[in-house]
Amino acid sequence: MPDKAIGYAELASGYKFPPATFELSASFVSKYLRAVDGSGDGFVPPLAITACAISAMTKAVPLPPGTIAIHAGQELEFFRPVPIGATIDCHIGVAQKIARGKMSMLVLDIEILDKGKEKVQSGRATIALPT
Amino acid sequence: MLTEIQEGKALGPVVKHITQEKINLYAEASGDFNPIHVDESFAAKTPLGGTIAHGMLSLAYVSEMMTSVFGQSWLSGGKLRAKFKDSARPGDTLTIAGSVLCIDKKSDVSYANCNFECHNQKGETIVTGEAIVKLVNGKK
Repeated sequence: MPDKAIGYAELASGYKFPPATFELSASFVSKYLRAVDGSGDGFVPPLAITACAISAMTKAVPLPPGTIAIHAGQELEFFRPVPIGATIDCHIGVAQKIARGKMSMLVLDIEILDKGKEKVQSGRATIALPT
Repeated sequence: MLTEIQEGKALGPVVKHITQEKINLYAEASGDFNPIHVDESFAAKTPLGGTIAHGMLSLAYVSEMMTSVFGQSWLSGGKLRAKFKDSARPGDTLTIAGSVLCIDKKSDVSYANCNFECHNQKGETIVTGEAIVKLVNGKK
């Protein structure tokens, strides 16, 4: 996980968060499947992997207390099934930061690699925040 | 079998009931404890008027539907673009459905172009989007 948080005001296009590493253990997958009413198929559900990246992102972007962050959009591409027990590295960067009236839009690029540095997923999240 | 995937094929529906307990479980699993999802007293004081489900929870149901139809092709060649139009809330029943709009063939590879929507019990759109799946070897 990123060990040092950056202030929201300091975020700018091109900023890269420190990579976050997750072990996709059987207990994590089991907990995730229970939360989404899902059934397992031997692989980690792709959205469970994305959830790790989103979690890393929410921890890395400290918002002022009381701020509501709304997930406005999500793009994803899946490149390979990921076996349970695998370890992944989540790389997140700021693609755009846009101020629109009383709203701010943060567009984040997400790239997830396995331990062999092979791309597992990539995506883009759009987060809306009142300013 | 993916050979059964044809233009016009209906995807889903997948029907899910949202509860605060499920939202809390999702927060624990994902590590996303944003108070708008899990702190009912905080959320009640915001313009949203109460807690909302994580957008990624609704999207997980979309992925479940896609996996049930396309199997490993979704896991290794799926692409989606989703817009979160409204929030799912505790007590909502979500229905996720879609269809195959067309099959594109490029060389030996076929791609299923799909759309999907997630509605609540009032017919309000929660998530809408498109997905593309690379169909490989005629198998799931």
